[in-house]
Amino acid sequence: MKLRLLVAILAGKIAFWLSRSRGNKGTSLPGLVARKIYPGSLLDLASQVRKKIIIISGTNGKTTTSNMVAKMLSDAGYNIIVNREGANMISGVTTSFIMNAGVNGKIDCDFAILEVDEASIPAVVAEVTPGVVALTNFFRDQLDRYWELDKIIGIIRDSLTVLKRTTLILNADDPLVAQFRKTTGLTSFFYGVGRHEVSARTSSQAREAKFCPFCGAPLSYDYFHYGQLGNYNCTGCGFERPLPRIEALEPATTAGGTECSLYYNERKVSLAIRAQGLYNLYNALAALLVCLHLGLDIRTLLDSLYKYNPVAGRMERFNYYGKPAFLSLVKNPAGFNEGIAALHAVKGTIDIFIAINDNEADGRDISWLWDVDFESLDQNTRSFLSFVCSGRRGEEMALRLKYAGIPVERIIIKRNIKSAIKKTLAGQAGSAYLFSTYTALWPVHKIVEQLAAKEVADDQCVSSIS
Amino acid sequence: MISVCHLYPDLLNLYGDRGNVIAFRRRCQWRGIPVSVREISLYDTIDFKEHDFVFIGGGSDREQNLIAADLMKRKEGFKEAIEEGLVILAICGGYQLLGQYYLTRDGETIPGLGVMDFITRAGDKRLVGNVVIEMDIGGLSVKVAGFENHSGQTYLGDCMPLGKVLSGNGNNGADSLEGVRYKNVFCSYLHGPLLPKNPRLTDHLISIALERRGMGCKLTPLDDNFEDRACMAIMRRLGFKKITGGSKMQGKK
Ligand SMILES: [Zn+2]
Repeated sequence: MKLRLLVAILAGKIAFWLSRSRGNKGTSLPGLVARKIYPGSLLDLASQVRKKIIIISGTNGKTTTSNMVAKMLSDAGYNIIVNREGANMISGVTTSFIMNAGVNGKIDCDFAILEVDEASIPAVVAEVTPGVVALTNFFRDQLDRYWELDKIIGIIRDSLTVLKRTTLILNADDPLVAQFRKTTGLTSFFYGVGRHEVSARTSSQAREAKFCPFCGAPLSYDYFHYGQLGNYNCTGCGFERPLPRIEALEPATTAGGTECSLYYNERKVSLAIRAQGLYNLYNALAALLVCLHLGLDIRTLLDSLYKYNPVAGRMERFNYYGKPAFLSLVKNPAGFNEGIAALHAVKGTIDIFIAINDNEADGRDISWLWDVDFESLDQNTRSFLSFVCSGRRGEEMALRLKYAGIPVERIIIKRNIKSAIKKTLAGQAGSAYLFSTYTALWPVHKIVEQLAAKEVADDQCVSSIS
Repeated sequence: MISVCHLYPDLLNLYGDRGNVIAFRRRCQWRGIPVSVREISLYDTIDFKEHDFVFIGGGSDREQNLIAADLMKRKEGFKEAIEEGLVILAICGGYQLLGQYYLTRDGETIPGLGVMDFITRAGDKRLVGNVVIEMDIGGLSVKVAGFENHSGQTYLGDCMPLGKVLSGNGNNGADSLEGVRYKNVFCSYLHGPLLPKNPRLTDHLISIALERRGMGCKLTPLDDNFEDRACMAIMRRLGFKKITGGSKMQGKK
């Protein structure tokens, strides 16, 4: 049995280098190969983790949250394993362990931090017993694969319910996430964002939960942050937003990121991160609560968080001859709406680039673009100088903007991603914002890196991405 | 004033279908035709006679059941309005609701509104992907593109299909038919959404709605460059070179 593990590790590593040399990122193939040779590969290696395995899942923010946790834990001196971005199904998770294992079949790891695709949770927890599971939020995503949100949530609930000693870290503001305390019966801690000045009394169309998950009565809201996130209560059974263990108050967007005060253990501390957008604040809260639960000191954690630099495409900041350019991944209405909210917070003019692909990993159905609130851009058109639409479905993006009321002379269709990015960066505006779906993100990232300098915090530590 | 009624926008809001209402409204506005949109949800009162165009989209199972019950209470008025030529576009779940019944995998029959003669059965596999159909719009053969995503399979009785499937599955993946057309009711499985990138169909709906109002006249042409390019992005991939043209469609069922 042991020999098969060694062979599996070796074969996995060879597969990694082979696929690397062919220009692939080599993220799922090694795991796939190893599992073929020895199906128990992940089970064996994961059981060697000394302290805890942390699983992070949910629709948006998985990658950022796990990278923030990784940053805080490695700053604290622990040996960690993190799976690579996009490698969040069982084969990708296996890859991360294979790549960290020595040829003697051993791993040297205190904590494994695993971003896991929602639909892969049953398969992963069947082999890996998590000490902590953090859930970010639930939105519709790639509907042609996961056609109903209810179904996906049910699958996750069923696979978590069988765990006995796992702690859940849950978003208090999302009723679809908060329900997990009751539905799984597991010990749960909550994080949330308090009411602030831009909290809305109503929510736009992209709202997933209208009814109580327990009794079916309509949920009533005090305020919304975005989507179905806010302060809710059920008129039927009393289900309501749980009291958060950590709560962010009065978040404010700054040039460099986001600042807020944080209510924790009956006292207020301040939290600052180098990423814009309320969704990034939620990611930071989730990551922070995971680490607090592990017993780390809040001061040290806040310090680490502040040094965290956003990973590729999470409002990643570049500098193009003195002009700031930001790159964001978009994959569903809630995420894109948050990106648009960031545009509204910018002072000065903006050139905008949007790349839409419809490959398998993007979701082949792009009709979700019509659920994004591009209409709100209409209120502020003088700030938005140009919209360059690219990717396999750039034409549909351009059409969406036209029907949102953007003047057509500001909309440009350029299939070629490189010339589209060049045009955007060379635009007249004071800053450039680039949005891209998943499979276009790496090509876009590569091109932007060639054309513009990446901005990194000065006191940057070694990247925590394995 | 053209009056648009969007049924259950808060519940039947999967797959960007509200883009259909956006397209209808914009193309009226761009031509200077005054248009109002009213959103109707559960328990709201509605007089279908006051409206010129009604849109109903698709939703998840739970929401669809709620709506079936609510719509049932409005059945008589709805049926009457359909017979009088109300222009309706129903997509996916909204489409299924208008038929005789939906037969679930457990063999349970969920009655529909029964305003048209077709039935839907739960299928074994989900029909998902880009679709191109050919349909007749004002005597002209037009290719229409969209994205389907349904597990229900619809079989037509005594009613006409919306068009013929050229690529994709359509109603059931077996008989090459897509959607239903009855009087001024247009039903389809095509999301995408359907109307924005198929402007000839949108304009046809606007025309017949105006005509019914006694405001009929030739619509001012619009620049459809973006619309056609978005449609061609799907069509070219599936091997089609032109949106219009081909043989004039005749002898349909
Ligand atoms: Zn309730």
